[in-house]
Amino acid sequence: MSILVNKDSRIIVQGITGREGLNHTQAMLAFGSKVVGGVTPGKGGQEVEGLPVFNSVQQAVDALHPDVSIIFVPPAGAADSVLEAAHAGVELIVLITEGVPTVDMMKAVQEVKSLDAASRAGGGKGIRLIGGNCPGLVSSGETKIGIMPNRIYEKKGRIGLISRSGTLTYESAKLLGDAGLGCSTTVGIGGDPVIGTTFADVLPLFEQDPDTDAVVLIGEIGGADEEAAAEYIASHMKKPVVAFISGRSAPVGKRMGHAGAIIMGNVGTPESKLAAFAAANVPVADTMPQIIELLKGILNR
Amino acid sequence: MKLHEYQGKELLRRYGVNVQDGKVAYTPDEVRTIANEYGQAVVVKAQVYVGGRGKAGGVKFSTTPDKAYENAEKILGMDIKGLTVNKVLVTRAVDIDAGTEYYVGMIVDRNVQSFTLMACAEGGMEIEELAAERPEAIIRHRVDPVTGLRPYEAREVALKAGFKGNLNKIADMMVRMSKAALELDANLVEINPLFIDEKGNPLALDTKFDVDDNALFRHPDLVALRESEADHPLEIEAAKYGFAYVKLEGSTGVLGNGAGIVMTTLDVVNRVGGKPANFLDIGGGARADIVYNAVKLVLKDPEVKSIFINIFGGITRADEVAKGVIQALNEGILTKPVRMRIAGTAEDEAKALLADVNSDMIKMYPDMFQAAEAAVAEAAK
Repeated sequence: MSILVNKDSRIIVQGITGREGLNHTQAMLAFGSKVVGGVTPGKGGQEVEGLPVFNSVQQAVDALHPDVSIIFVPPAGAADSVLEAAHAGVELIVLITEGVPTVDMMKAVQEVKSLDAASRAGGGKGIRLIGGNCPGLVSSGETKIGIMPNRIYEKKGRIGLISRSGTLTYESAKLLGDAGLGCSTTVGIGGDPVIGTTFADVLPLFEQDPDTDAVVLIGEIGGADEEAAAEYIASHMKKPVVAFISGRSAPVGKRMGHAGAIIMGNVGTPESKLAAFAAANVPVADTMPQIIELLKGILNR
Repeated sequence: MKLHEYQGKELLRRYGVNVQDGKVAYTPDEVRTIANEYGQAVVVKAQVYVGGRGKAGGVKFSTTPDKAYENAEKILGMDIKGLTVNKVLVTRAVDIDAGTEYYVGMIVDRNVQSFTLMACAEGGMEIEELAAERPEAIIRHRVDPVTGLRPYEAREVALKAGFKGNLNKIADMMVRMSKAALELDANLVEINPLFIDEKGNPLALDTKFDVDDNALFRHPDLVALRESEADHPLEIEAAKYGFAYVKLEGSTGVLGNGAGIVMTTLDVVNRVGGKPANFLDIGGGARADIVYNAVKLVLKDPEVKSIFINIFGGITRADEVAKGVIQALNEGILTKPVRMRIAGTAEDEAKALLADVNSDMIKMYPDMFQAAEAAVAEAAK
């Protein structure tokens, strides 16, 4: 098994006729993901890679009953696309788009959360948003709903991977694969200041997953998501977690590429994150290869 | 995008916030004219994008127009934290002793996935210092991004913070500031100090305003306020290429494909004893021409002595990266050695291309640390 998605997950692509949407639809199909159709307003009735395109998410939901929607819509319309999917009842929404205005994300995340609560209160499975500005998620050897390179996720492993950064996700997955460990599920939660799913939201899923033995958490400077994760690990997790923090040498007040990666005053400093992980007994790797050493040390114990 | 004090004040004035009068001047003569016009004591304030202007001597109380002229002569051209002052804001002076100074601000807060309104009865101080020294003095309140701040919430926050004065007027100012933050896509808006006079009326004496770059597409009027002095010239040029570039202090130029990997690359350069000259993210899927432009940009920094390129090839092809660097070499613009670590897609093709060139100027390593050490060693030569 795996968390959130598996080989049977039915996927639609919002923005499937755009360049990114199309490229990644092809790559997901090549991985073996069950992409069943797409949505581009105004282009309903067309076909992409032999898959039907619909004018609205609701039409796609009625016809295809998808479990997941992945969004490649440009920034100005991205939050609207999230809400369209959420109101159409899609249970898992993955927002890849980078550069969405923060205020749009605040409003969208709040509304998705209230739809999630309403769905759960009515006995439904809830609605979850992952991202934006994220690489998506992949259950190795089963399905990829994202933009990661296919090659590094061919073989199933037993390590859960959560990360705020795209490239470091690939780097870690490659290291885990080369070390013969491999990933169960990888979740890229995104580098923006306001995101739908945080480390602390994903950790319980790995804790309960029988096919995950340990978790690698790739954090970075900015915000306090790592601190919240450390708190959760300390109080709720039995499975071992190894952490890595990117940007430890970054200057205060400068935004390091990711809109969320900025140290403001005493919030978001590497010191605060290191202290939180130390208090939670979570080893923090100083370098990426050290992640593997720490992990092997723990698993061989 | 950071705004100047006078620009932030103008935006808040549009939202009906009671802002202290002021005019911008570029010469001491203009300052004297404005002071004459006001016919009272004025404050001459340097307009630069950094905090701590007062401590640096960039804010001066001036009793007469001649005094204002003298102060302007001192402040204009002054260097504050590396930025040259080329304009000042002249405001009517306020008798601070005849009232109280508070702090209010709205900041994007990822922990509550919205804005947090902050209020504190100890105004005038930098909020970062206050947060570090006496965090309990700051009242925090999550603002609903859809409904905005309601007046009753503002009153509650003002009461909790211990603000004394006309409660309704103070709350109204906070509501207007919050509306500006939400509608103008701010990352941060501060009124500090928020001055309450003897009659209990609020007045914004100083502001900070920082706008979300991702939202500028819907605020063309704010884009027009962008000034080159806010950023390093290379940061402005990088923006034209769509690169995320941050100028740093060292001599090893750094570029990579993705914010996370570049951040880690900076860490690695530091770890092997070097100092990065910059942060440069060329993004995913970059082709040879983009890499070429990136290399050219990094080399425009005179501090750069070597370049470290760190690529994990997913959608980015290693051979495209190599081609871009080789093009720079062939055109004679590659004046400093490049040390690369490229892993992943088309790695072998990249190796073959570099083997054909066979130049000491470009070397490739399989490991991030080896490449970093090599680049740092070149920078130290």
